Amino acid sequence: MKRAIAAVLLVITACGPVVTGDLQQPDLPAIDGVGLAALLSDLGKPAVINVWASWCHPCRSEAPLLAAAHSQFGDSIEFIGIDVQDNQNDAKAFIAQFGLEFDHYFDRDRSVPNQYGAIGTPVTMFFNADGEWVSTHLGVIDDRSLALGIDEIANG
Amino acid sequence: MEFTLLWAALTAAAGLWLGVRIFRNTSETAFDNLLAATVAGLAGGRVVAMISQGLNPLANPVDLLIVRGGVNTAAATSIAIAVFYLVSGRKISTMDTAAPAALLGLASWHLGCLWRGACLGVASDVPWAWSEAGSSITRHPVEIYAGVGLVIIALLITRLPQRVGVWSSAGLLGASGLRLATEPLRLTISGGPVFWYAIGILIGAIGMAASLRLADRSDLSVVS
Repeated sequence: MKRAIAAVLLVITACGPVVTGDLQQPDLPAIDGVGLAALLSDLGKPAVINVWASWCHPCRSEAPLLAAAHSQFGDSIEFIGIDVQDNQNDAKAFIAQFGLEFDHYFDRDRSVPNQYGAIGTPVTMFFNADGEWVSTHLGVIDDRSLALGIDEIANG
Repeated sequence: MEFTLLWAALTAAAGLWLGVRIFRNTSETAFDNLLAATVAGLAGGRVVAMISQGLNPLANPVDLLIVRGGVNTAAATSIAIAVFYLVSGRKISTMDTAAPAALLGLASWHLGCLWRGACLGVASDVPWAWSEAGSSITRHPVEIYAGVGLVIIALLITRLPQRVGVWSSAGLLGASGLRLATEPLRLTISGGPVFWYAIGILIGAIGMAASLRLADRSDLSVVS
């Protein structure tokens, strides 16, 4: 019986998705805090900035929610991913695994979160249409908090 | 911060503890059993949420601990009820006596939004609406509504006849109904589990009607 259970668990484990980065894809462009500020001021619409890394377990947990939010609000809200302290191949694999179909940038030195005083990973920051910082959520963001943050920048 | 979730969980446990003491006909082990059922429900709900998000729980066991990443409400509730039934001697009457305390625990979880900064829902101009720090948009404090509503339901349930299945069915009916009623006031990305709230209402209503009818036929049904 124990062997049967072990075999079932092994099969389930093996069924986990194996996703590798598409090496044909170009590397994520580099960005720093100053570059992001310039980008946001030119956007002309509110933005959600998510700081993530492929090695970050909590980032995996919130990634499906961010993908869903982008599908729902992507027309009116700009979603931007900032990959920190990572490598390009793992980052591309992470984006492919979770279908994060918005723009991502590479920030090896954590320049972006440091500029806004945000510690840890993941971090989600909300900016209004003028590119001004509105709020920051440290740690994994849940459904209600993300919806509230988006509603604030969309209607504030 | 993640510690805010811990504070909310501790508030819920305190509410559960208080409920067990307020409703004195709850059994001595009710607090332990309710806590065990809650933890089992959270773990099961987290596993189901991970699978639905495309994350293999066996390949990513650490992610099970990241509760904020999502917990499937329907699975968590079903598992918690099943576990409580099993650990409390498979007696519906024990579930009945614990139902008001469980609702008080759930109410405390909702009221724990005050520590988490997660009380607010859709925008509103009602006089008691309040806003996020630094925001000009006032909103319904929807989780406060839910918390207060659950306290009232817990108190109302104790007014019902003490017949097997009535209190637990009424608890499920009341909690599901309240969540369904307050859901339009919440903000959500993925949509709340409205279908499952409706199922909870249906099961609660059927259970309550059946319990009252069966109780009329048997003199063994009075909760001892």
